[in-house]
Amino acid sequence: MASREHELSALPQTSDPPRGRLSQLLARLISPYLHGEPRGPVPEVLGRLIYPFVRGEAPKPQQATGFYTDTTVCIGCKACEVACKQWNQLPSDGFNWSGNSYDNTNELSATTWRHVKFIEQFSEQTSNVLAPMGTVSDESPLNRWLMMSDHCKHCLAAPCHQACPTGAIIQNEFENVYIQADICNGCSSCIAACPFGVITRSEMGGHSHKCTLCYDRQRDGLEPACAKACPTQSIHFGPVEELREQASKRVDQLHERGVPQAYLYGDVPSETYSAMHSFYLLVDRPSVYGLPDAPFNPWLHMMGDYVRSVAGGLVAIAVLLVVVFLLKP
Amino acid sequence: MHANSSSQHASTKPPLPEQGGQIGYENTTVTKVPGWHGIIAWDALLNGMAMGLFLAAAVSELAAPAVFIGVAKVAYPVALVLLLVDLVLLVLDLGDPLRFHHMLRVFKPSSPMSLGTWCLTIFSLPLTAAAALSVLAKLGWDFERARLLAVVVGLLPGFGAAAYKGVLLSTNAQPGWKDARWLGGYLTNSALLMGCAELLVLSAVMRQTQAIAILRTAFIVLLILNMIPLGLLFANLRTIHAQLYTRGQQWRVGALIAVGALIPLGLILLNGGLLSISVAVIFLLADSWLVRSVYVKIPHTSPLEVRSGE
Ligand code: SF4
Repeated sequence: MASREHELSALPQTSDPPRGRLSQLLARLISPYLHGEPRGPVPEVLGRLIYPFVRGEAPKPQQATGFYTDTTVCIGCKACEVACKQWNQLPSDGFNWSGNSYDNTNELSATTWRHVKFIEQFSEQTSNVLAPMGTVSDESPLNRWLMMSDHCKHCLAAPCHQACPTGAIIQNEFENVYIQADICNGCSSCIAACPFGVITRSEMGGHSHKCTLCYDRQRDGLEPACAKACPTQSIHFGPVEELREQASKRVDQLHERGVPQAYLYGDVPSETYSAMHSFYLLVDRPSVYGLPDAPFNPWLHMMGDYVRSVAGGLVAIAVLLVVVFLLKP
Repeated sequence: MHANSSSQHASTKPPLPEQGGQIGYENTTVTKVPGWHGIIAWDALLNGMAMGLFLAAAVSELAAPAVFIGVAKVAYPVALVLLLVDLVLLVLDLGDPLRFHHMLRVFKPSSPMSLGTWCLTIFSLPLTAAAALSVLAKLGWDFERARLLAVVVGLLPGFGAAAYKGVLLSTNAQPGWKDARWLGGYLTNSALLMGCAELLVLSAVMRQTQAIAILRTAFIVLLILNMIPLGLLFANLRTIHAQLYTRGQQWRVGALIAVGALIPLGLILLNGGLLSISVAVIFLLADSWLVRSVYVKIPHTSPLEVRSGE
């Protein structure tokens, strides 16, 4: 698997045509490197140096797309996980019994972009009787499975995107958050920034990877592999506006049918966080699913932190200046 | 209420999880830890030492050229060496060091890492010039105006290169780090303190009595002043430290940090000799390193409850 990964990443890739005179010139300069032709050390070094500076034509903006994941119909079959691994040719993570229900995937990472979570909520006395969905309430003992297929939230104002110093992370024409693997240099800022623990750095190559929302498939007019594979339509893919409508209808429906705790997570912005282009229908507190109860965008603090940082330095400089002026002969 | 009971499993006796399994997701840390380990503590130290030394030397030299010109001319080359070591560490810490220059394909003020890289890169130019011209001056080729110009040009990017580091390590979603509102204030302030200390050592080595007298006073004031942002920083981190460490551990580290600050204070107050200055500065640097490592360790440390459950 590993070697196949290397092979694939070494294949020449077609990219958008260079934008502007300068980029055209640079592209011509390193054309053997760009087109994977045989080359000596000088073109190789030149290519590596210049490549990141060649700009491509930006694609025309399209309708914003995303995922709406209805966790109440998820059956935990992990078809989405498999489809994701397969389509994106992600390497295996090995196999470990986690001891946590049927969840042996454990977490999202550079090599796992879909993660089905299992939450067993059973009371001791009635552990053999499965109550139907509708009977769940706070007083009665819970007897249910919660399952949720987790992935990148494609935040509208994404901390990973704000943190990225190379411009590798972009918001593409579908308003999805996308990491350009050929640009990322593995600085890890995005890992530190993501409040959902979605991104990690791959051991292989040292770059960050995460769900692309099947950018390649979308560009070819296909729906993402996970949504395609989901047998219960727990994963809905489409224009975000439509998804929001669909989701709120489903919440109303569930409320009518006696699931008053159903709600949407991430469909609209909160005071501390932007809307997410992939949002969820949940029936318990977010933290039960391993999501932050109140996600917070760290960038809300950045300006203040800069002010304190600069002030700390300026005060010290002022003190030094005063001492020098007072004591100099 | 949401007891993810394991009683179901108890009857069937499943094999034990291989590596400390966790039932449910309630108490798990959601965020992932970036691979920023010891290298980053050293980087934060060297960053402060390099930029601090340059800024302290430049400010002193510009304010009182007659007193500081000699020691400043030695300080710039030293600062350059420190900066180069720091840059090497930064590059090595990347997942793909050969792509370091990708940082320079965009300028993104929203990213402290981007702002910092640009400041460091731009700053390295006037610093190199100032260092080279200082060395040339020693060799007899004196381009005094050009050297001073380089020093002045270096002030702003040098300050930026010192100021971004704390913001980078506090603008993120990591437990503890996300609450460290005063990290930047502390680090930048501490950079100037360390810079002043280094300049003091250099003056002592070069027997510049006037410079020593001024810098001793500045050092004492700055050291006391630095306690304020340090105290505020630790106030920010109180909650997370309580989750990660026992009271005993917290007291021990706190005492160590306090002693590490009091020893140099006492030494410099008592004696202005080369030996006592050098020892004081070594203690100060060790103390500064300790604070930085304690900070960098936070997201890598698992909370007490989790550990006791193992
Ligand atoms: S969930 Fe994390 S990785 Fe995904 S867009 Fe938001 S911040 Fe970025």
